[in-house]
Amino acid sequence: MTNNATAGTSATRKERVTIERTYDASIEDVWEMWTTKDGIESWWGPDGFATTVRAIDLRVGGVLDYTMRATDAAQIEFMKKANMPTAIDNRMTYTEVTPPKRLGFSHYADFIPGVEPYQVNHLVELRTTADGVRVTVTIDRMHDDYWTEMAVKGWTSELEKLAKVLAA
Amino acid sequence: MHIDAFEVLADPMRRRIVETLRSGERAVNDIVERVDIHQSGVSRHLRILSEAGFVQMRPEGTKRVYSLKPERFRELDDWISRYRVLWEARLDRLGAALDRRKRDREPTPPRNEETK
Repeated sequence: MTNNATAGTSATRKERVTIERTYDASIEDVWEMWTTKDGIESWWGPDGFATTVRAIDLRVGGVLDYTMRATDAAQIEFMKKANMPTAIDNRMTYTEVTPPKRLGFSHYADFIPGVEPYQVNHLVELRTTADGVRVTVTIDRMHDDYWTEMAVKGWTSELEKLAKVLAA
Repeated sequence: MHIDAFEVLADPMRRRIVETLRSGERAVNDIVERVDIHQSGVSRHLRILSEAGFVQMRPEGTKRVYSLKPERFRELDDWISRYRVLWEARLDRLGAALDRRKRDREPTPPRNEETK
């Protein structure tokens, strides 16, 4: 999305979250965790869910299709009560694949009633340091001006649903 | 009665009305001047916003003055903190998975420290 952002009038801004961790592992292992079926299924989660990768096509423009299935009894009950399915299909599209250093993918959030689908971009950067491998995840939300503005104000959305469902 | 906050705010005209109230309270006719639809339309949207708890009204003489109810907006959760929590947990699990993998790989694992 590289429209010419007209300076001044357009308030198209992004929300951004950055999270960093250092792991005592090799960069190749960490990369594998992010980019292989077995790797992803072993940790993606969230807690109380099992992730099954249905298809993975690791190249720019390729997709990762996976299903998150609630396995925890309490979680299943919660989902049912909230009228949500207990298995959720997800799709992400790779936007950058530079082994073993950078992995970009975008996820399309299209499940919020009354809200135009919007895109969430993720960039994962791996860097070898003295302590191991530094993993930096940067998440950007592309949204329309209104919601962006709302978020900047610290208001934002009803993301009970997002946290439970998005998890991707 | 449950009104989905997103549905209420997804309407572009209602967003514009909310925008006009951001700088402070306004009388209905003042709002009508700032969004170019008829008063009846504005009133209808204000009623919906009001029912959903986003705005409140007080009479001032013959006028009806509307303002935002910030609490309602705050109730809607903070996206950033949600996402952070989600990813913190996820990266914890990645660490645990890496540890498991390392253990599985070690040909002669060092004795577990279960003797305590």
